[in-house]
Amino acid sequence: MTIALKEIGPRSRAVAVVRRINLAVVVFLAFYLAIGLVQPAYLEPAGVMNFLRRAAPLAILASGQLFVLVSGGFDLSVGSLVTLTVIGGSMLTANDPSKTWWAVGALYGIGLVVGLINGAVVAYLRTPSIIATLGTLLSVNGTAMMWSGGSPRGYLPDNFRMFGRFVFHDVPFIKIFPLAIVVLAAVSGLAYWGLHWTVFGRRVFAVGDNARAAQLAGVRIEFVRLGVFVISALSAVTAGVMLGGFGGVSVDVGLGLELQAIAACVVGGVQLMGGRGTFVGAVAGALTLTALFTLLTLLGLPQPFKETAQGLILIAAVAFGAWRRRRAG
Amino acid sequence: METAALALEMLNITKTFPGVRALDDVSFGCARGEVHALCGENGAGKSTLIKILGGVYRPDSGSIRLDGGEIAFSHPVSARRAGVSIIHQELSLLPYRTVAENVFLGIEPARYGFVDRRRMREEARRLLRRLGSSIAPESMAGNLSIAQQQIVEIAKAFAIDARILVMDEPTAALDRVDATRLLDLVKRLGSEGVSIIYISHRMPEIQAVADRVTVLKDGRTVMTAPLAEAPTGRLVRAMVGRELSDFYPPRPTRAPGPPALRIRGGSNRRLRPIDLDVRAGEIVGVAGLEGSGKNALGRAVSGDEPFESGMMEIGGLTVRPRNPRSAIEVGLGRLSDDRKREGLMMQQSVRDNAMLTQRAFANPLSSPTAEPMSTAAADLRLRQLDVRAASFDEEIRLLSGGNQQRVIIARWLARDPKVLVFCEPTRGVDVAAKAAIYKIMRDLAERGRAILMISSDLPEIIGVSDRIVVMRGGGVAGELQSGATEEDVMAIAVEHDHRSPALIH
Amino acid sequence: MSDAAALRLASAERRGSIAPLMLLVGSVSLYVGVALWTGETKMLETDGVIGLLQRMVALGVVALGQTFAILAGSIDLSVANMISVAAVLASFTMQGRAEMMLPAVAAVLAVSALVGVVNGALIARLQVNPLIATLGVGLILQGLLSASFTDFAGSVPREFQAVAYGAFGVVPYSVAGLFVLAALCSLALATTRFGAHLYAVGGNAEGARLAGIRTDLVTIGAHVVCSLMAGLSGLYLASRLRSGAPWVGRDGVYDLESIAVVVIGGTLLAGGRGGVWGTLAGVLLFATLDAAFNMMGVSAYPKLVLRGAIVVAAVAVYTMRTRDPVA
Repeated sequence: MTIALKEIGPRSRAVAVVRRINLAVVVFLAFYLAIGLVQPAYLEPAGVMNFLRRAAPLAILASGQLFVLVSGGFDLSVGSLVTLTVIGGSMLTANDPSKTWWAVGALYGIGLVVGLINGAVVAYLRTPSIIATLGTLLSVNGTAMMWSGGSPRGYLPDNFRMFGRFVFHDVPFIKIFPLAIVVLAAVSGLAYWGLHWTVFGRRVFAVGDNARAAQLAGVRIEFVRLGVFVISALSAVTAGVMLGGFGGVSVDVGLGLELQAIAACVVGGVQLMGGRGTFVGAVAGALTLTALFTLLTLLGLPQPFKETAQGLILIAAVAFGAWRRRRAG
Repeated sequence: METAALALEMLNITKTFPGVRALDDVSFGCARGEVHALCGENGAGKSTLIKILGGVYRPDSGSIRLDGGEIAFSHPVSARRAGVSIIHQELSLLPYRTVAENVFLGIEPARYGFVDRRRMREEARRLLRRLGSSIAPESMAGNLSIAQQQIVEIAKAFAIDARILVMDEPTAALDRVDATRLLDLVKRLGSEGVSIIYISHRMPEIQAVADRVTVLKDGRTVMTAPLAEAPTGRLVRAMVGRELSDFYPPRPTRAPGPPALRIRGGSNRRLRPIDLDVRAGEIVGVAGLEGSGKNALGRAVSGDEPFESGMMEIGGLTVRPRNPRSAIEVGLGRLSDDRKREGLMMQQSVRDNAMLTQRAFANPLSSPTAEPMSTAAADLRLRQLDVRAASFDEEIRLLSGGNQQRVIIARWLARDPKVLVFCEPTRGVDVAAKAAIYKIMRDLAERGRAILMISSDLPEIIGVSDRIVVMRGGGVAGELQSGATEEDVMAIAVEHDHRSPALIH
Repeated sequence: MSDAAALRLASAERRGSIAPLMLLVGSVSLYVGVALWTGETKMLETDGVIGLLQRMVALGVVALGQTFAILAGSIDLSVANMISVAAVLASFTMQGRAEMMLPAVAAVLAVSALVGVVNGALIARLQVNPLIATLGVGLILQGLLSASFTDFAGSVPREFQAVAYGAFGVVPYSVAGLFVLAALCSLALATTRFGAHLYAVGGNAEGARLAGIRTDLVTIGAHVVCSLMAGLSGLYLASRLRSGAPWVGRDGVYDLESIAVVVIGGTLLAGGRGGVWGTLAGVLLFATLDAAFNMMGVSAYPKLVLRGAIVVAAVAVYTMRTRDPVA
């Protein structure tokens, strides 16, 4: 799948940003139109709502990963944290709906701890984030297994699952309105504000662009690192709660999600070496990926090929980015 | 009159970079077996000339001839193959490989893919012996002293039959004993027919070893003469004598105030105990050549590689900045000499670059453009510093060096520091911007800041400083008042230190 | 640590000999200590020790390959999936028939080499970040594999099972094979031009290029070796499990653990220094830890949790000393 691109020469930043946004969004719209051609139901309001609902977890994960990528790192532990959230959720609630709220609170607490650990290892032990978060991935997965004794109970109470499943019916015009979209909107608002409209967000860009310069200018880069990994972890818990609503409880629920989140961000124009990226790009990338997978499924491509496609997209997106950087000199 | 072709001729070389003409019609020649010294201050064009010879840059015009035959180098590898070997100041041996492996890197003697270690060892030993060294070929390169590593680099050059050897400040990191040995080696190699281009600012060495001397200044050849006609005094005059244009700002209108910065006995790994005062309203210039420690001083003051002993006072209060952030908190600021690595956030906008320090100290959840970081305030500061950009939203990498520098200055001024350290303030900056930056520095001083200006640019030191401190070998070697000449400064700076120097700046 | 001691340590580190030795001594002490403490003294008998060594084989072979990749300044995160592909491919091709053993092995080696070339080319020619390139290739392999197989595929003939279960008297073929392979790798690194160039590219790629070395070919070569080793490991696992399954590589966490043992063994994550014996010593340490946990009755899942922490701690020990900010 090739993505046509107009040549970008030295122009003002505003124009460049507009072009980049347009690209990911344009590609998404193109894919969605293709979906609509194959399965017209997707073009109806209810179809759109459903699509957004199913794309929400990835979009939320991508929003969190965005912060880590812009700061120059990688968070490979989010998938396992999603798994832990789902399994932990089922263990903590024990099918008792009254326990849902405190369980969710506890899960966010766990996410906070994981994020702090990731951030601390990278910031203070100076371990590359790839290794650090891969290690966390192992430990978190192990914890999930330990907690559930290897055979997770298959049930989550309904009010837990509502974040993923619940849908307002008989809404004028759009017919259905999934609760997931409310969650997505809330997370999006926070992420957009956090990255683009706070001092902290500017520090994230600074650290990703030139950590040494930021340090010399007085930025406490350790706190920035702690912050981005916590944000990523919390977004993983959120996505986990939502995914718990989609399907059953299993140990595979989070498998590979970190790579999907990274791929989504890369497709959306986020630079892997840090310093550049937009919230809109990350979400547009997530939507694009979801649209692509939906399209492939509709066209009859068997589920496992999803991973193959993902790998190809990841490589292609990064290679493309590298090529563009080389041309810009 | 030479009838045989010179081993090396560089004719009418011109090289221009954006905004600056590095070399202007430079011609340079070296005969077989000649040791030719190349002098000039930083920025005179020496390193550009050598990079062209080494195949890193291509000249805009002019030609290179080896033994009379014209040749063009497309890539550093082709220069090496043609017999030109450059030994840089930063040695690039692989520390975890043996001497023999380093010497024969890329050209290992092999049979069917298997390295003939014995032959490599013997050949390395032979090369080393030829250089008068008894280094064991199987020793680990990282375990050698700097002097020994240098010998290995030279051996590496001869492993590919270098005919022309360029040595860039080879004795900068050596003590007296090793330096003398190196000079003897250079003389001997010359007598064996190797052409050597010896770049140095150490006059005694040049007098000891050179056959001919060329002085570059401002990208032009100022003088080429046999050693007999080039005593130190004449060389120093050639290196620095120039018209003092009046693009330096006027002298201060009032006497400086009380000391804003006082250092007593400040020392660390790189610096010998330093005593220094900078008064409010004063610009103190710090001069010194490679290895003098002047940059280490700047870093120590600003908390980057802090003083380990001694005392520092800002405005009468004792301070102990242990890292850059705490230095900023007590009112210090430092404009790094390496803008690209330590200053610029290339992909961020001009405004974002200018507001970095403010944002480092603001409430993390507050808006990035809240007072006093408002867009209007930032733009005002940028305009006051005359930053030229299509829009302040532009990525800073699109600006010229001079404008980039001004943005970084804006960053440091935002918190109104009491003491500002400028390191190489006009490096990579075109002439017009230079004048503007000098004026900015003078204005700052007039308004009561204390300025420490660390620079390798002598005219700048002379033209801008109210007082000049000259460093050498990690410590202060002398002080001069305004009105001193460049020769005065150079004279203090070039004297070869007979004590073991501290590590390189 | 006193200055003098630190200096001595530094030069010993440069010689590179200290890590493997320390690990060896540490592992042995740990093993003996825990065995005595938990009363599982039969682990100290020949059978127990042989069992320990056998547990080293799968990780050991793949870690040998990872050593090459890391030495060259790169890294390979596709090895786990490559192992799965190799195991399944071998088992499926053999279908329990002895006469298909050779074609199966040839097929596995060919595919491994191809994967290595792809990895190396993406990194060296297309300048893709090694982490992403190999992660992506791993994903592709995983996808292709799970699209075609969901369970054990085919089976391995008895003759091939000898690889995992046969022995020269007391020494299993597999253990002997591991050490022979290690010796060959060590020899290749020490005596061939390729080995010398590998160290050069990892130590200073720009300097290597200036010396005329084809750095892209060296990178590709390193990745081919790495993937071939992963293929061999997959063949061993197929033999051990008597069949191949698509989850074999993932379950063993071979990607992260191979990186960890390489780094523990003294090879720099940035490349340019290290060697295979250090890697093997790291593998021994991990096998010993595993055995120790078993002796202490730690069950599978807590072990996983600890593994993650140990891997990070092992790398952190080395990276803690850097001064510059790291992402």
